[in-house]
Amino acid sequence: MKSFLLACIAAGIFAVVAVVVLNTIQEPVQRAFATSGVRL
Amino acid sequence: MASFGRYIRVVLGAWAFLLIVLMSMPSSAQQVNPTASSVKEQQLLQELNRIQGRVSIPDQRSGVLEQPAGRDWREFRNVTLRWIGGIAIIGMLAVLVIFYLSRGMVRLESGRSGRSIVRFTPFERFVHWMTATCFIILAVSGLNITFGRPLLLPLIGFEAFSEWSQWAKYAHNYLSFPFTIGVVLIFLIWIAGNIPNKLDIDWLKRGGGMIGHDHPPAYRFNAGQKAIYWIVVVGGGAVAVTGYQLMFPFYLSGIEGMQIAQIVHSVVSVLFVAAMLAHIYIGTIGMEGAFEAMGSGTVDVNWAKEHHSLWLEEQNARTGPNEARSQPAATPAE
Repeated sequence: MKSFLLACIAAGIFAVVAVVVLNTIQEPVQRAFATSGVRL
Repeated sequence: MASFGRYIRVVLGAWAFLLIVLMSMPSSAQQVNPTASSVKEQQLLQELNRIQGRVSIPDQRSGVLEQPAGRDWREFRNVTLRWIGGIAIIGMLAVLVIFYLSRGMVRLESGRSGRSIVRFTPFERFVHWMTATCFIILAVSGLNITFGRPLLLPLIGFEAFSEWSQWAKYAHNYLSFPFTIGVVLIFLIWIAGNIPNKLDIDWLKRGGGMIGHDHPPAYRFNAGQKAIYWIVVVGGGAVAVTGYQLMFPFYLSGIEGMQIAQIVHSVVSVLFVAAMLAHIYIGTIGMEGAFEAMGSGTVDVNWAKEHHSLWLEEQNARTGPNEARSQPAATPAE
């Protein structure tokens, strides 16, 4: 039971880290696809 | 003069005939002008293989409006994949129900000894449960992508389905990371015991003891468990690689590559789900005492003797038979 609970907590932590890292390194679509001629 | 007039008429008639023949030739030989307003969409696809224009945003790939492979892929995704997934998953469930009703639980024939032996360490169980928990969420959220629209949407309505699908997709994306870590760790910690050998052939020939009351010898992992291990490692690796290809579009390939990635990802995934249903069955209601191995980490010595006799001999030779712990009260797995 202890291993299972720790596994669930670890999975959640890894997922949250993934959210933070991806949100940091990926450009928002408004910036990535906008030009001087096009604004999203 | 009259003969000259006849000559002119013959020449004009010949030119007129030639003009009619040229005009009546097949239209496919004509050059298609893609900018002509009268040109047909299908005709353009046949001639150009794709309909592509120019766009003003930086990503020029978004200029592809239509490509024939996209139609084949859509047909696969909406029809073929649902058949493959439906047959694999419902078929496996049907086989397991029939097997359970006809064979029942594989019982511990020699009963419980009251002594237990460590089967999996806490770290091994941690890795197993992290991967398993993520897998279940990935499977449910992934099946929602394929089957949610025809099966769930009519039951819960557009608003609820939209909300659920959005959160399911977030979970699918972000839990893929701990799942991938789990698959890598599973590969590393159990590779030594999962190399196929001659004993596996004998185990398979004897039906793994599932049919009848045979107990073919096995080391730490029998041929069935080795099969599950390689399905997890190879299948998990395949869904991870193709999944990340889809999660980061156009980083690794173009649209055709992503269509292939989606086909591989989805087919391997539904087969993976079917295989895991069998794994979950045998680890819970299919075999008495099996769940304890991943539940508490220990198994009854008699269970080890019946299902992994060679592994038990190895453990006894290494630590001595008296190392097994006494159990105060035997608890069945079911």
